[in-house]
Amino acid sequence: MPEMKLEMQVNGRKVMRLADPGQRLLDFLRDELNLTGTKEGCGAGECGTCSVFVDGKLVKSCLMPVAKAQGAEIQTVEGLAKPGELEAIQKAFHKTGASQCGYCIPGMVMAATSVLREAPEASLDEIKERMGGNICRCTGYSKIIEAVALARDVVTGRASPAVLEPETVGESYIGHNVRRLDAPSKVTGRLKYAGDMVMPDMAHMAVLRSPHAHAEIVSIDTSEAEAMAGVACVITAADVPGTDGFGVFVHDQPVMARGKVRHVGEAVAAVAAEDAATARRALTKIKVEYRDLPGLFDPEDALKPGAPVIHDYAPDNMVKHIPIRKGDIEAGFAAADLILEEAFSTQQVEHAYLEPEAGIAYVDHDDVVTVISPSQNITHHRHMLAGILALPINKVRFIMSPVGGGFGGKEDMIYQGMLALAAMKTHRPVRLVFTREESIAASAKRHPSRVTYRMGLTRDGRITAIRFEMLSDGGAYGMSSEGVMRKAAILSCGPYEIENLWIDTRAVYTNNTPSGAFRTFGGMQAQFATESMMDIAAERLGLDPFEIRRRNMMRAGSLTHTQQRLTSASIDRVLEAAEQASRWEPGAPTMRGPMRGDLGGPGTRAPCTLGARFETPKDSKERVA
Amino acid sequence: MLTFERYEMPATLPEALALWAEAPAGARLVAGATDILPWAREGRAGDVDLPLGIDLSRVAELRGYERHGARVRLGANTVWQDFLDDPRLARWLPVMPYCSVWFADDQIRQQATLAGNLVNASPAADGTPPVLALNGELELCRWAGDHIMCRTMRVEDFVTGPGATRLAPGEIVNSVTLDIAEGYGASFQKAGLRRSLVISVACVAALVKLDETGTRFADVRLALGGVGPVPERLRDIEDRLRGAAVDARLIAEVAEATASRVASRSRVDYRRRVVPGFVRAALEEAADRARVAPSAAERKEAENA
Repeated sequence: MPEMKLEMQVNGRKVMRLADPGQRLLDFLRDELNLTGTKEGCGAGECGTCSVFVDGKLVKSCLMPVAKAQGAEIQTVEGLAKPGELEAIQKAFHKTGASQCGYCIPGMVMAATSVLREAPEASLDEIKERMGGNICRCTGYSKIIEAVALARDVVTGRASPAVLEPETVGESYIGHNVRRLDAPSKVTGRLKYAGDMVMPDMAHMAVLRSPHAHAEIVSIDTSEAEAMAGVACVITAADVPGTDGFGVFVHDQPVMARGKVRHVGEAVAAVAAEDAATARRALTKIKVEYRDLPGLFDPEDALKPGAPVIHDYAPDNMVKHIPIRKGDIEAGFAAADLILEEAFSTQQVEHAYLEPEAGIAYVDHDDVVTVISPSQNITHHRHMLAGILALPINKVRFIMSPVGGGFGGKEDMIYQGMLALAAMKTHRPVRLVFTREESIAASAKRHPSRVTYRMGLTRDGRITAIRFEMLSDGGAYGMSSEGVMRKAAILSCGPYEIENLWIDTRAVYTNNTPSGAFRTFGGMQAQFATESMMDIAAERLGLDPFEIRRRNMMRAGSLTHTQQRLTSASIDRVLEAAEQASRWEPGAPTMRGPMRGDLGGPGTRAPCTLGARFETPKDSKERVA
Repeated sequence: MLTFERYEMPATLPEALALWAEAPAGARLVAGATDILPWAREGRAGDVDLPLGIDLSRVAELRGYERHGARVRLGANTVWQDFLDDPRLARWLPVMPYCSVWFADDQIRQQATLAGNLVNASPAADGTPPVLALNGELELCRWAGDHIMCRTMRVEDFVTGPGATRLAPGEIVNSVTLDIAEGYGASFQKAGLRRSLVISVACVAALVKLDETGTRFADVRLALGGVGPVPERLRDIEDRLRGAAVDARLIAEVAEATASRVASRSRVDYRRRVVPGFVRAALEEAADRARVAPSAAERKEAENA
């Protein structure tokens, strides 16, 4: 690496380092100066978690070679307020509850600061436009935009600074906005996520991943990588001392591919080295010989006789089948005046939490293998890892670091085992931080599902029978598929009381990226089908969509799909609230066409455009263009 | 991950050109760096170790801009945010702010250069259509042993295909010269997957100057991007409209014919539906803005008052 004497003013202090001029400003700030409030979410300029000011201009530090900042004044989130204090914008984020996982928040606070500096009078639309370079996955942006508008009003003197203070809570917290305890640590960038943590003598891990969807591993030769200067260790499945296998329900997934790979992106080997660049270079020296196996890429194919078998324990490729039966569907369909048959499909979805997977593992003075990671399931992970490492449970410890967004995607123990093995092999702390691309390739996704639907109805809109069959692509490993299929089955026919139903949900193995937990856990795929069916039925029967739902909704005393007697139900109130909020005009969907009066009114989102900054408010000075 | 064996920050154009002339195979010029860093990642180029990076951001000659009569010569380091932040550039080049606001985001525009966007020659570049509409011309310079040799080339001729240009070995883009279009109304229409941080699925840049009655097209500039291997100037439509009365039916008629210009390899049907709508919207919006755009003389008067 070349070296250059880099001098700059960072948060008001002179800084001088002999460092690689071609490295990113982001790396310089985080690795050389330990300013970890500046995050890396994507490394490609897409997310804004790395926004910093360079000579007063907000830039994305992942897109700037540090040499460009030579002699510049840099301000990071750590430099916005004095220690122990908060700027107005930070107070506003705290007040409105704008921080959830917090990983996007330092960048958001920086972008908001830039808005208030560049355009202190910005309208809501202009605030949104100017913050377009920063993304958040938790909040839906409403609270963030609310915070910026609140800070704007305080900064411009339109509102008293008192509005930033917490609400007074009397006898009860109910009915009051209560500020989050952890918000100050997030809005100042002080909160350390796993990828921000450093330990003395720490090694950095990189993972070799399979380029094949289904292939036998004939051989792995790690000798050249192990001989490289700076490499601390190389690990493969051969390093696992105990019973290899983890999973939320079925323990079908090895820490690293064992004998064969089952999806593109599966971990095959991992290197721990002095720095991440050396670890990545060492990966290129590992020789893996593969023999291609026929792959399965469509769940329908997985069920065909003679289909390739992905896991020996499941010769039929079935991860889980959940059947539910209630009543007599033959009689139900016979009583119907109308029978509807439709098919629905939904796609794979990535969680895209802004914090890519990261972790740090070490073996402590009492030989306790300790893993710090944003795991959504540390107790289960601890038990599984103890078996994998053949250690008693008291010699395995999991510490949950702040989760920079999970949404179900961090329930699977897809890298903690590798960290533990490397820490045991080297007796050094080992850290792994996924790249965004790696996160997308290796982490579980929302199940792509196909639903075949048959619904019988009477002329007045009463459902007489439903046959609901869902086939989901579970991908290469079981992960949360079993629970997702169970939830999909339980929620399948929606909040409607159906006397006769026949439900089958199935998840099967394929050689696609594994599917796992994701917000709603199978409910979304099922409800998309059911609610679409309700609308189709309303259209066919000439009924109002709210009315057809009311005629079938569950009430106190109803028997659910799994035959639980309800003591209360709230869908009537939900429907009423939705009807009012949307200013719904009663009538069948077919009867009104484009002349509906309930479209385009207040609360309806305007078409997406840009250019709010060109609109000149009457009371402000002339603006550009 | 992008690494450089050597990273140079030349301060003058002769230094930069001399480094570039001697550069080993695989060396790259670095302007804003907003494309080269995402390029060196998994799924694209992967980890890349370059023998030399020549960072142009400190080259004095590439900074700033100057007016030469009816044209403005912009140094190659002009960044996209300049068209929003510099009121004079915004006035002279009225289409550029409207394009700029759709270009990446506020932060990337602080680094991304106009010249870099042109040299990248992406068929989906937001920046090329407005430059074509403003008769953009590049100054390409190289080191000839003891002095600098420069040639000029129209941007229209420079971009030859996706990622392909007529930049010769050893050459650096020194400046971009554009028509000053003060008093024109302008519009930029773009469809992408979201508002910020996406390239164009289709885009249209339009400039309209009205005659003194405000009812006829005195001049029209129209260029299309994202719908073929190279951006295209729609001269036949410009010629047809020049001198004609501003009329919604005429605009709709010429716009309808633009669907046939779509020569993309993907999403052709979608683009054929979008483009005529964009051309119509761009012409109408530019004409509306031309009606309220003060002429240079009026502005002078206002300033003197």
